[in-house]
Amino acid sequence: MENTTITPAPTAPTTPTAFRAERRAGVRRVRRGPVSLAGDVILAIAVVLIFAPFAYMVLTSLRPPSDVINDPLGWPTSLTIDNITNAYSKMNYTQGLFSSTIVLGGSLILTIVVGSLAAYPLARITRSWTTGVYRIFIAGSTVPIFVLLAPLYLLLRDVGLLNSYAGIILAYTAINLPVAIFFYTSFFRQIPIELEEAAAIDGSGPVRTFFVVLFPLLRPVTATLATFLTLSVWNDLLIPLVFVQDPSLKTVMVNAYSLVGSYTLDPSLLFPAALLGVAPLLIVFAFLQRQIVSGLTMGAVKS
Amino acid sequence: MIHRRPLVAVAFMAPALAMYLAIILYPLVQGLVLSVTDSKIGNAGNFVGAANYIAMAKDGDVMRALGVTVAYAVVVVIAQNAIGLGLAKALFMRPRVRQLGSTLILVPTLMSAVMAAFVWNSLLAPDGAVNSLLRSLGLNTLTHVWLGDPSTALWAIALVNIWMFSGYSAAIFLAGYMNLSTELLDASSVDGAAGWRKFVSVEWPLLAPATTVSVTLSLLGSLKVFELPLVMTNGGPAGSTTTLTMLIFQKIFGGQGSFAYGTTIAVLLLVVVVLFAGATQALLRRREERI
Repeated sequence: MENTTITPAPTAPTTPTAFRAERRAGVRRVRRGPVSLAGDVILAIAVVLIFAPFAYMVLTSLRPPSDVINDPLGWPTSLTIDNITNAYSKMNYTQGLFSSTIVLGGSLILTIVVGSLAAYPLARITRSWTTGVYRIFIAGSTVPIFVLLAPLYLLLRDVGLLNSYAGIILAYTAINLPVAIFFYTSFFRQIPIELEEAAAIDGSGPVRTFFVVLFPLLRPVTATLATFLTLSVWNDLLIPLVFVQDPSLKTVMVNAYSLVGSYTLDPSLLFPAALLGVAPLLIVFAFLQRQIVSGLTMGAVKS
Repeated sequence: MIHRRPLVAVAFMAPALAMYLAIILYPLVQGLVLSVTDSKIGNAGNFVGAANYIAMAKDGDVMRALGVTVAYAVVVVIAQNAIGLGLAKALFMRPRVRQLGSTLILVPTLMSAVMAAFVWNSLLAPDGAVNSLLRSLGLNTLTHVWLGDPSTALWAIALVNIWMFSGYSAAIFLAGYMNLSTELLDASSVDGAAGWRKFVSVEWPLLAPATTVSVTLSLLGSLKVFELPLVMTNGGPAGSTTTLTMLIFQKIFGGQGSFAYGTTIAVLLLVVVVLFAGATQALLRRREERI
C-alpha cells in the first residue's frame, strides 16, 4: 500500500525549470563527491532500519502462524488472510471502527467550528484582554491530561456523561482547542482585512461575513488541522479507556488494548491487529500526504 | 467589522471559552483542590493540608518514577533529535530520494503507541525477531530478554519511542532546511565553509525555529509517555519502567482509587513539564532571536 503514496524519484533535471527548482531547493551538484557515498550508505541503512519493522509486520501478518514459529525471519512462502480475519473478530473491529469514527467525526467538527469562531476575534482584535485570552488558551497545550483525569472523571460522572460518546467528544474538543486556536489565529492574521471591509460596506454583518466570506478561505489550514487531529484522536488510548466502560462504545485502540495480557507475544495476532489499527490512517495518508507533513511541521519555519 | 463590535466578538468566543472553562480550567482547579484532600473514588474527602505533598516527598516510588521519567526524556529528546537532524540533512542533500525517504520514515509516526507497542513486544520477545536476527548473525551473546530485565526494559521502550518519532523530527528539520536561503548557503561555501564547520556555524543556528519545535514536542511527548510502558511492560519489571504517568494511572484507577494522592503526583508531573518546557523554550527562543 505504501507504494501508492510515493512520488516516483525524479531523474536528473533535464529542463531548465527542473534545474532551477533544484537550485531553489538548495541543491549543489558540487557536493556530490566521494564523501557522499558513505552518507548514501548510512542514509539507506537508517531508512531501512526505520521502515523495516513496519514492512516485517505487514509480511508476517500474511504468513501462516506455523511458518512464523518455524522461521520468524523467513520470507513469506505461502500467504493467508486468516490472521487478519482472526484479529478482526478478536478485537471487535467493526464495532471499534464504528465508535472510533463517531468520536473522531464529532471531535473534528466541533473543534473546527468552535476553534475557528474563537480564533477570528482573537486574531482581529489586538487589545490586552484578547491577548490574555489567547495566552490562556495556548497555555492549555502544556497541561498534562493526567492532572485532569480524576476531576474530569468526577465531573463527567456528575453530569451523566461517563460512558457516552458526548463525554469523550467534549473532552477531545477541549483538549485540542489550544492547537486549533493557534492554527486558526495565525491563519486569520494572513487574510487581508480589506475583504471584511468590503463585505461590511455591502451590508454583511460579522456572522454572515464569517460563514460566507471567511470560512471558505480557511480550507487549507482546516485540512492541515484535521489531519493533525485525526492522528492524535484516532491513536489515543487514555481518554476512552478511562471514561468509557460500555463495550459497545469502545474505540479501536481500547479493543486492541484488551488483547494485551492473554496473547501478548503472539506475532500472528498482534501484527494483524496493529495493521488493522493503522490501516485507516494509511489510507488517509495516501491521499493527504502534503497536509500531514504540513500539519506535523507547523511552526518549524519562521514566518 | 468584528473589532468594532465587542459583544459580537465575545459571542464568537463564547463556545470555546465555555468548553475550555468547564473541561480544562475547572478540572485543573478541582485537581489542585483534590490534592489537599484524602478523597478516594466517589467521596469528596476531608481537607488534609499538605499531607499528600509531604507523603509524596517521602515516597520512594514517586521519587524513582520521577528519576525514570527524567532519564527517559533526556535520552529520547537527545537521540530522537540527533537522528532526525542527521536524516533531514542527508535527505536535504539528496533531492532525488528526498520524497521517498521522508515518506518511508514517517510511517512509524502514524502508528498509535498501542500498535507500535504490539509490534515491538513481539519483536523484542525472547524468541522474537530481534533475538532471531542476532542469532542468525552469530551474535548469540547479544541476545537478551529485553523487556524482562530491569536494566534494559526502559531503554527498550525508549528505543521504540525514538523509532516512532525520529522520522517526525526529520520532517520538522527538513522543513527548516527547505526554508534556508540558497544564496546564504552558497555564499558560505564560497567563503570556504564546508562540512562540519559549515553545519555548526551556518546551518545549525539558522535551523533554530525547527529545533524549537522538534525539541519541545519530543520533550513534552517523552515526559508524558504512557501508552508504551502501559502496553509493553505495565511498569515492570520491578518498577523499572514505572514513569510518573504510569504511577498516576495506577494510583487513580488501579484498585485503591486514590484520587487525591494520584492527582498530587499529577501536580508534580505538571510542575516538571512546566519547568522543563519553560527552560528549553526560553533557551531555544533566545537562539531564534539571534537569527
